[in-house]
Amino acid sequence: MSRPFDPRLLSQVPATRWPVLALGAIGVVQGLATIALAFAVTDLVVSVVESRAVLTPGVWLAGLFALRALLAAASELVGSWAGLRVSTVLRERLLGSWLTRDADSRPEAGRAQALATQGTTSIEPYVARYLPALVSGAFLPLLAIVTLAFIDWPSALIVTLTVPLLPVFAALIGRTTQDSTQRRWRSLSALSGHFLDVMRGLPTLASYGRAEAQVDSIATVSQRHQLATMKTLRLAFMSSAALELLATISVALVAVTVGLRLAYGIMPLSTAMLAILLAPEAFWPIRRVGTEFHSAADGAEALNDVLAEIDHTVARPNFAGATVSAPDDDQTGVEPSPVVGKGIGYGFPGAGTQVLDDVSFDLPIGLTVITGPSGVGKSTLLELLAGLRRPSEGTLTAPRSHLVSQRPFLTPGTVRDNLTLGNDCDDDEVWQSLRLVGLDDMVIALPDGLETRLGDDGFGLSAGQRARLTLARAALSSAPLLLLDEPTAHLDDESAYLAHQLIQKLAELRTVVAVTHRPELLSLADEHIHLTLRPAVNLAGVPS
Amino acid sequence: MTIPDALTTEAGPGLRIRTSRAVFGAGLLGGIATTSGIALTATSGWLIVRASERPPILLLLTAIVAVRAFGMARPVFRYWERLRSHDAALGDLAARRTTAYRRLIPLTPARLGRRGRADLLTGVVDDLTDVVDAQVRVTVPIISALVATVVATIVLALISPVAGLIIAAMATLIVPVLALGWWLETGSQQTLLRARAEVARVTALVSGNAGELQAIGAGDRAQSWLAAAHAELCRAARRQSHGRAAATGLLLLLTAAGTIAMAVAVLPDVGSTISTPVAALLVLTPIALGDAVSTLPDVARALARSQASAVRLRTLLGQPSAVSATGTLSAQATAGIPPDLSVRALTAAWSGSTPQVGPLDLNVPGRTRLAITGPNGCGKSTLLAVLARALDPSSGRYQLDDQDALAIELGQARRTFAVLDDEPHLFASTLRANLGLARPGSQDADVLDALDRAGLTQWFAELKNGLDTIIGEGGRGVSGGERARLGLARALLSRRPVLLLDEPVAHLDHATADAVLGDLTRSATEQSVIMVSHRRDGLAGFDRVIDLSQQTVDPH
Repeated sequence: MSRPFDPRLLSQVPATRWPVLALGAIGVVQGLATIALAFAVTDLVVSVVESRAVLTPGVWLAGLFALRALLAAASELVGSWAGLRVSTVLRERLLGSWLTRDADSRPEAGRAQALATQGTTSIEPYVARYLPALVSGAFLPLLAIVTLAFIDWPSALIVTLTVPLLPVFAALIGRTTQDSTQRRWRSLSALSGHFLDVMRGLPTLASYGRAEAQVDSIATVSQRHQLATMKTLRLAFMSSAALELLATISVALVAVTVGLRLAYGIMPLSTAMLAILLAPEAFWPIRRVGTEFHSAADGAEALNDVLAEIDHTVARPNFAGATVSAPDDDQTGVEPSPVVGKGIGYGFPGAGTQVLDDVSFDLPIGLTVITGPSGVGKSTLLELLAGLRRPSEGTLTAPRSHLVSQRPFLTPGTVRDNLTLGNDCDDDEVWQSLRLVGLDDMVIALPDGLETRLGDDGFGLSAGQRARLTLARAALSSAPLLLLDEPTAHLDDESAYLAHQLIQKLAELRTVVAVTHRPELLSLADEHIHLTLRPAVNLAGVPS
Repeated sequence: MTIPDALTTEAGPGLRIRTSRAVFGAGLLGGIATTSGIALTATSGWLIVRASERPPILLLLTAIVAVRAFGMARPVFRYWERLRSHDAALGDLAARRTTAYRRLIPLTPARLGRRGRADLLTGVVDDLTDVVDAQVRVTVPIISALVATVVATIVLALISPVAGLIIAAMATLIVPVLALGWWLETGSQQTLLRARAEVARVTALVSGNAGELQAIGAGDRAQSWLAAAHAELCRAARRQSHGRAAATGLLLLLTAAGTIAMAVAVLPDVGSTISTPVAALLVLTPIALGDAVSTLPDVARALARSQASAVRLRTLLGQPSAVSATGTLSAQATAGIPPDLSVRALTAAWSGSTPQVGPLDLNVPGRTRLAITGPNGCGKSTLLAVLARALDPSSGRYQLDDQDALAIELGQARRTFAVLDDEPHLFASTLRANLGLARPGSQDADVLDALDRAGLTQWFAELKNGLDTIIGEGGRGVSGGERARLGLARALLSRRPVLLLDEPVAHLDHATADAVLGDLTRSATEQSVIMVSHRRDGLAGFDRVIDLSQQTVDPH
């Protein structure tokens, strides 16, 4: 990590300001309480030594300890809250960003999931533990030195000169061991990954009778893992011990000068005691930053990645020529909106060839059917209309839409959950829609009706039932533009007839664009776009 | 502090959780380090006060040496303790991994649940780490704190019995404080784990389907799922942080009480039985002790965690095997020729006595391709597990050709079947090794042939390193369809005469699922194929499709 704290977090995600501020504030007050407590302890000890009444220092000490107890408890509570708050806000922003970005600018699925789950979770300890350590690491030494300067400047001078040795020393150790440490970590993660790999594969190994054969290799690899880990740990523990020793020696320097002046009678006991108590407060917070950083390093890296994702600008250089716009008034109901494309071209990122080239259309309310051989870019055109991809050339105007793709999303929830995804319809409307696709009888027959849960990815439904369910959902959508990719490919003729009727009905009030191979649907079309393989070009709406 | 439950209880045969001598030794070393820290503060106080009395410098030398020794001893012994404890823990982890793995083999797959076995096994790996972690994070700090408080009590009691009493009281009161922290942690842990799992599930669902959610305008709805899961997580975490907050705060209050009690107790005797430097030492000791035990609330959390892990491990590993290995006969079926399978009045259950399948009659002559469908819970997977000899039937007969399948030696009986489920594992290894494990000693030509038959010709052609390509974790990524096909290739390579498929295309999209099933039925010509599936389409290549929920005992 280049910087101890990335200020982009606060500027890009304002919701994280309060939690971070609260942590900082508690850290500062804790620092003040710690310094004040050193005074109270000194006062108490000196009172006892000088046989004075201990009531006043005792009350001060009790009060300050109580304050520190409150602050410590608050720090735990706020730390945990802030860690969660920051990580959940970031996760929400991250998914929010992916949910509004086009397909080509989203990261690859595996990486996206890792970042949104483990990545954001690892930011929790970074915020909850590392940031507070950072605050006290920056503030408490300073406060201790300033206080020392007021009560005994030679001690302040010694501390000022020795405190910087800690980070310098730490950096030196870090630099000289960096290469070997990185090499070790790599081999370590490979070794520790081995057991996980074998365990996850145990069902496979067992079914081919190869499980027993792995016992020895687990033992061997675990032993190698132990040796390799200990090598790495020895280095880490050693440097931590060295830093502690350095701090101890520095405090001892303060103690020697204080002790000498005491012995020569040129320093009062209370000042000496205070100096001895304050000096360590300048050192341990810095060491704690180092310790906490080790456990928060993953979080720091993840934070970097998450911020980069949230900051993602959609522009891609080769897309400079395209303009995409949505009519302003497309948020309200089923008002007709223009669907106009001029000279649209699209190529997948990284692929040399264009999938679509110079496609133009102006679609009115009614049913438009897109046909063409497979691979010609029919689905891609629907995705462009839906805003899921951005054209690389041309201008496109399209309102809010609802696209039923060839692999429509079904959530592992109830039938109702699935039908009301993207709309707020009530049960009457839901049943009405089910009737229109001829699924009402099936749902009535289900054990819990609309409450029946569908399994992962909508198991239990046949392809045809899935298609009808998602068509019913499309009918419930208020979007002025409906896009249907092969809506009736999996349906028998009778169901397809019902579906086609529904599509025609939906097209009375809005623009419906369907990709299909079915001649029956084509015969219902008001407009027909036929895409042909290269030489591309084509197309205007040809009235059928 | 008692030795934590997680370290003394037995987690299934062969998995005794114990505190080794090495860990105990590490605890003693940690005790010396902690004691040195307390002594450093206390003797420094003594030294300062003594110095202020302006004795000849020489008289201070012993104390100066002592202070330095304590200052050096703390980091040195801490270093030594950390080396010892981590080494012991890692050694223990190695041993425990082997034991747990060995213990899991006979429980696989029937006792690992129906779905998400890989995730369950990942949980086992994490749980083992947590249990072993308890040695470093629980046992060592507790022994250290125990040593330090005992030493402090004895030393102070020698100086002044009442001072010793105060330290002893302080040390004793730490126990209920930590117990409170532990109790609050344990109570909230399950809820927190569930909340975290739910957040992970929703996140994976939304991030994996961002485009499709966008397509149907359900982005806002998806965000609301996440917000709901997050709200629950925050609630659970707040409850959990109460434990640490309470313990941390109370320990500081305890320190204050100890310090003031010490000051009040010592005050009357200062100058008479207690010298002034010793008075400073006595008053500073409770503060130093409070400082030394300030990290103990972490112990409560680590203990709660490892106990929950130990319970999970015990429950999982303590299960009886699902299959008896009493068969002794050798299989009569001619090698490579698919036997006729038949079951008569068969019932079976994963656990308990209520049958989850049957009573059922079924005949599957050699080379039949049979698809078994039916709604969730009708016993499809149970039946498949019985056929694969992963689960003993509760009643009825199961025959391979004319032999009682249960009488055949278990290993031999199982070698009849290649089982392919919805999550075939790809090991972080070469493509060759990944497939070859199904048939040790197979030639490259056999592997290539299996890849071809599984429909991976094109995919393989694009691999620069051919069979040496590293796949699995950290290697070349494969899609869901490719993964299913690699599982199929592995099954084909094994040349086992019966292919048993348990929802092999469950996670694939419709088009890919159909394509994989098509290649499967085309290429598995020498085998019997029995597949269970929720899907009722894409079954064109099968000779027979039965709905298990309507299947009963054959009247013939």
